[in-house]
Amino acid sequence: MSGLHHMLVHFPLGFWALATLMVLIGALLPGRMAELSRAALLPVLVLSLLAALVAIASGLLVWPIEASTSSPLARNHILTALWSLGVFTMLTVLVWRAGSAAFDGARRWVLLLLALIGISIFATTGTIGGHLVGATTQFSELLKLFGWDVYHTFFVPTWVIAVMVLIGIVCAVLGLKGRRAAL
Amino acid sequence: MARQDKTGIPWLALGLPIALGLAWVTHGSGVIEDDPERNIAIPDELTMPLQVQAAYSDSHIFFRYRWPSERPHILHDVLVYENGDWVKKGSAVPGSNPDGLHEDRVAMMLDDGSVPDFARYGGYMTIGAGAAGFTDEAPEEVSKSMPGTRIDLGDWASRQAPETLQAQREAGYFLDLWHWRGHRSNPLNLADDQWVGAERSGDAGRSPYTTNWDGDAGQPLWMLDPEVAGQAALRWEDIEAGRVDFDSPYFLAEDTAIDFDPNHDWQNGDVIPRRLVRQTEGSRGDITVLGEGRWNDGYWDVTLSRRLDTGNPLDDKILRDQGLYAAAFSVHRNATGGRWHLVSLPVSLGLGRDADLTAIPFQGRTPDWADDWKEVTLFYPGQVNWPLLVSRAHAGAPDIAEGTPVRARHSERQLAIYGVEMEFKDAIIRQWILTLIAGLIAMFGVVVALLPAFRNTSNNRKGEPS
Repeated sequence: MSGLHHMLVHFPLGFWALATLMVLIGALLPGRMAELSRAALLPVLVLSLLAALVAIASGLLVWPIEASTSSPLARNHILTALWSLGVFTMLTVLVWRAGSAAFDGARRWVLLLLALIGISIFATTGTIGGHLVGATTQFSELLKLFGWDVYHTFFVPTWVIAVMVLIGIVCAVLGLKGRRAAL
Repeated sequence: MARQDKTGIPWLALGLPIALGLAWVTHGSGVIEDDPERNIAIPDELTMPLQVQAAYSDSHIFFRYRWPSERPHILHDVLVYENGDWVKKGSAVPGSNPDGLHEDRVAMMLDDGSVPDFARYGGYMTIGAGAAGFTDEAPEEVSKSMPGTRIDLGDWASRQAPETLQAQREAGYFLDLWHWRGHRSNPLNLADDQWVGAERSGDAGRSPYTTNWDGDAGQPLWMLDPEVAGQAALRWEDIEAGRVDFDSPYFLAEDTAIDFDPNHDWQNGDVIPRRLVRQTEGSRGDITVLGEGRWNDGYWDVTLSRRLDTGNPLDDKILRDQGLYAAAFSVHRNATGGRWHLVSLPVSLGLGRDADLTAIPFQGRTPDWADDWKEVTLFYPGQVNWPLLVSRAHAGAPDIAEGTPVRARHSERQLAIYGVEMEFKDAIIRQWILTLIAGLIAMFGVVVALLPAFRNTSNNRKGEPS
């Protein structure tokens, strides 16, 4: 399963890298290339999610689950993979929701922000995957420089978990209120 | 464009970087802290350097060890006179002894190829289920052991039959253990010669120390001879102030001790070492210190020597010119005992041939050391045992089954971090799962918040930004 996982991760990798590039071009550049990027973004994102789900499922089968959850590197790989999926799912939902107006006004900056966050997390996922197969990169040194050694499990104290959940709840409530106001 | 800004709240997108940023700056905190009740004490430094040299003559092999230590710990446990009673201080505790009492040590396990896994996994393979000092330690003290000495790896008590253990030993299935102790051997220029089989055992013969305690009388067996040592006891305030050094009568030996005199005018704060250091006999006395083991300017410098062929093949690994062996080292410092040592991965040792550590042949009685050290990184191993490493809970178990060396997969620093995390495994996994879920909840909330702002309200031509 390990070899299959290595093969399958190339698909979300390619799609998410492409999607990020399309968001960058669509948000920042004028012209034909930008139009094409904006128009083709949604199918690329949808394909990326399908590919990511398959890749993550295959990754969870590489080792017994007790081995994956016992390894700090594997824990980090799982967390960043699922967070990558989460961020690009956000992008997909928003682009689908807004349709051809996804890049209108301030929306483009939201998409750009999410794309950059998503690709950063996914780059971390890939870097940790490299560690897991014994191929380290300088990117993990960069992460270390900014305060995280990837050999340490990424977890936060309980109060931060509470704040993160609170942020999610507050945002959701404000969003639902905004939705009612818009009706 | 104007409409989405009125009805939606695009700035709520900042909720995600705020949540993730907060996670970034606080990650790793809130779980890892000392817990003596669970035998958990994490060293301040997870790795340390050890310098090693080796040389051999026609008859002897010499190992020179040099390692940093803030100060020497040359006292072990002691007996302190307090209001008529002799109170033991300096017992092993999780981490550093708070009184600074516990001797410094350097140890080396050695194999001649009879235990192939040792060259790949070093001391990890000697840590079995229920090991002393682990959170789940067995009710009786379980020391180092070889995995093949147990019928069931997960059961520390399931020893093979005595005849099987003896056959294993005769087949060479054991590790030689050189064990230098700053208090219990060094004062007489000795080291403890031991071996690891079904347990950590001393070689045949007399050990370099015995316990200075008469359990029936509730008092020491010996005291310092005032005529030799100049005093009957040390003083506690001198120990606390760090005034006990190599020039002090810091140890009891057969020629510096006399029978304990209960009628001596003992004062509160008088201190008698709880061990008596003595000359070794038999196979247990094969290893001696060349010169003196001394701490100076922040470094211990210890040279040990032994005959290449001790004549005790059931206790020792016999060494030969051009032989290739495996060795692994450990150091206790900062008044630590038990499992609170730092250890090395295995290194190859070649006598006159290329290896990680090459012993240089020489003629004469003592080697002429050059400033050419093998630098070894020691690391804190935490609570990782062999049954775990070969179980489904270790992703590298199939690699071990295939014989892939640990060094091919892990660095010393990585192993130290993993060792620490293993001590908090359940708490870390719980917090990691909650962190993962909290991140996803934050994402969900933010996307819900953004949905009103992302309604399809464009009147522009398809694909054209406004």
